[in-house]
Amino acid sequence: MRNSSLSRRGPRTAFLAFASAASLLLAGCGSDAGPGTPDDASARPVDGGTLRYVVAGSPATASDDPHGGLGNESDVMRFALTYDVLTVPGPNGEPRPRLAVSWKPNKTLDRWTFRLRENAEFTDGRPVRAKDVLYSLTRIAKKAAENYGRLADFDLESSTAPDDHTVVLATRAPMAEAPKALESISFVVPDGSTDFSRPVPGSGPYRVVGTGAQTAVLTRNKGWWGTRPHLDRIEIRAVADPQARASAVTSGQADVAGSVSPAAVKSAKSSSSVRIVTRQGVTEYPFIMRLDTKPFDNPKVREAFRLAADRKALVDTVFLGYGRIANDLPTPYDPSYPKDLKQRTRDVARAKRLLKEAGHAHGLKLTLHTTTSYPGMDTAATLYAEQLADIGVDAEVKVEPADTYWTRIYAKKDFYTGYYGGISFADLVRVGLLSDSPTNETAWRSRTFDTGFTRAMGTLDARARNAALARIQKELWRNGGYVVWGTGDGLDLAAPGVHGLPDGPGFQRMFIDRAWKAK
Amino acid sequence: MIPRALLRTVLLAVAATAVVFAATEILPGDMGDVRGAGRASAEDVARERERLGLDVPAPVRYLRWLGHLVRGELGRSLASGRPVADLLAERLPATAALVVGTLTVTVALTALALAVGFLRGGRGGALAPGLAAVPQAVYAAVLGAVLSGVLGWLPAVSLLAPGSSPWAQPRALVLPALTLALPSAAFATVLLRGALTDVLRLPHVADARTRGLPARLILRRHVAPFLLVPSVRVLALMTGWLTAGTALVETVYGYPGTGGLLVSSVAVRDVPVVQAAALIPAVIVLVGMLVADLLDTAGRHRPGRSRRMAPVATAGGAA
Repeated sequence: MRNSSLSRRGPRTAFLAFASAASLLLAGCGSDAGPGTPDDASARPVDGGTLRYVVAGSPATASDDPHGGLGNESDVMRFALTYDVLTVPGPNGEPRPRLAVSWKPNKTLDRWTFRLRENAEFTDGRPVRAKDVLYSLTRIAKKAAENYGRLADFDLESSTAPDDHTVVLATRAPMAEAPKALESISFVVPDGSTDFSRPVPGSGPYRVVGTGAQTAVLTRNKGWWGTRPHLDRIEIRAVADPQARASAVTSGQADVAGSVSPAAVKSAKSSSSVRIVTRQGVTEYPFIMRLDTKPFDNPKVREAFRLAADRKALVDTVFLGYGRIANDLPTPYDPSYPKDLKQRTRDVARAKRLLKEAGHAHGLKLTLHTTTSYPGMDTAATLYAEQLADIGVDAEVKVEPADTYWTRIYAKKDFYTGYYGGISFADLVRVGLLSDSPTNETAWRSRTFDTGFTRAMGTLDARARNAALARIQKELWRNGGYVVWGTGDGLDLAAPGVHGLPDGPGFQRMFIDRAWKAK
Repeated sequence: MIPRALLRTVLLAVAATAVVFAATEILPGDMGDVRGAGRASAEDVARERERLGLDVPAPVRYLRWLGHLVRGELGRSLASGRPVADLLAERLPATAALVVGTLTVTVALTALALAVGFLRGGRGGALAPGLAAVPQAVYAAVLGAVLSGVLGWLPAVSLLAPGSSPWAQPRALVLPALTLALPSAAFATVLLRGALTDVLRLPHVADARTRGLPARLILRRHVAPFLLVPSVRVLALMTGWLTAGTALVETVYGYPGTGGLLVSSVAVRDVPVVQAAALIPAVIVLVGMLVADLLDTAGRHRPGRSRRMAPVATAGGAA
């Protein structure tokens, strides 16, 4: 699913609405220090101070509703600091407790009992109870049209709150990854909250003391149950333009800039002592081929198209080298990714031979759709079209308006440029790879794949489950409709004195409650 | 005369809102589509559309909106559910500061350009159209690179400190205001130059020249008064245009005004916000034009001046 981790300029904001929580479950991300000042993990944290964080956000989609589309990173960061969630991503890809202290499934993995901590309290003084959790989750499920059915696999009508600190969540099918599906997005608000046109009380590490057109000001929530945060105050500033965000840090007007462009990183690198935080595998622009339409109904054509891709050239041009090549599977960062897969490389001769065998000896003419929603999507398509020309394919690149791309082109045309922002493999399968998935963009329908996935979701043991998921990914690698040529890094800039920024996967970077600032 | 002009202004304002509404209707897709983003089921999107009131026919929606407007209600944003009035109130002070700053520079530069034009007897003047033709983004890039990057005089971005008034950070206003003012001044000069040339051709100006009056006196007494009405018209146009046209500058400098809100609301088809944000510049232009008309009329009806005002009013009208 698409995520908001990339920049967007004013006119591109239609896409804000796309950002999905699932997308925020980015796995396999790391943080490495840039050439500037490394984050000294051994340094002693300093208490106090204000952190100024500039983060992507558009005025039109700014929202106080933590259960909606989560289109603005600036909103998500505020929610992450002011509301508690049941679970957060752990360092090994497995969920870690937050508001939930423990969880246990039944034998069939379709009833999950979560124990809640007993000392959590909303900022208005009311305790956080199981019914608040159930109310919040039900609200997220009801807002399916806004959040792409984020909790569609949970049956909340059959879920219960047997006591104040226990919820029993029902799932529609066995769901081994239920605690993972609740990671980071299960923001808990008081039962019965209905007016979300202004912030409702939360129980997180910070509380909102002021909001304006651009900035939300948060101060430490003294009543929070967790480890006391170091920073007194956090100012979250929504700035739509990635270059403006980068400039804010390089010019000293902000301490951290989230999601800046590779070009901005290149110039910041040479000019100042700012630190570059790299999050791997955040962005990808795969090319989507529909298996139920000609010429892509022929597996030889699909293979030829994959062999035509010069992956390194694409990564170097589109992401300016801030990324790595990929192997036609959309979630290389997922713990279930098959490690023993051969890397597909460019092979023009073989691709030509395959096209000939498929009856296209005299070449092929088609249209490759793309857009400008995310920086480099158009470049990717243009360069790939040039590479396709080498195997005798005449692909005309059509740059579509960003406003309507995701409603008119996405999942509708037979050959186009897609976008994924760190979705987990299981989520990807649910939304787009099962025979009955709502948006099966590649028209991938395989009984062995479907049953393999169902079986994996009924397997509690993570290792056995990941092995089963790896098996079905191999089928997708051989036969699917994706050309995944590379993944781009998420890039943040931080001022030298800022430490303790989360380096965990994906959405984890929004939970900045352990950050501190050297005096 | 005045009530009729006022009525015309109100009708034009309503017409402007109808045009904006029709334009947002013509754009493909609505908030329901935007929310679903191709991922939600058709039923979910339909339900969402119903919840947002988008299942009602467009003319009915427009009339309802107009009915609310008459009662002073701007409605709520489809995207966030927040009152549109609040969204605008948060950003209008920043826009007002930017527009006032820009206009101050624009007026000064335009006056200077016209004074030079006057001294040169109305000849020359290829510079202004050239400068007006340069895209805003180029001004932003060059000014930012020089004044902030090379010289380091000004902040690279114009973030406003939380809770503080935009007037409290004048340095933050300089780059955005200059970026807007340079092309605006060039544009205003182009528009007013024609009026100036017309005035210089008037018999009484030539007469004053032959009498050997000092240039400064001719400018003040015999030329400037004739430029008042066209200047007010151009000022109205500029103010309206600036109020609506700050989006690029806001994006480049990270400045939180209404322009970014307008453009991003168009992108997500948040019709109530678009309507209200577009109404403000429309009203500014129309009220400004009304004032110019009233000044014009007052001038014509003042004894002994009617003959002299006539050609200038025509020149200004073309602007």
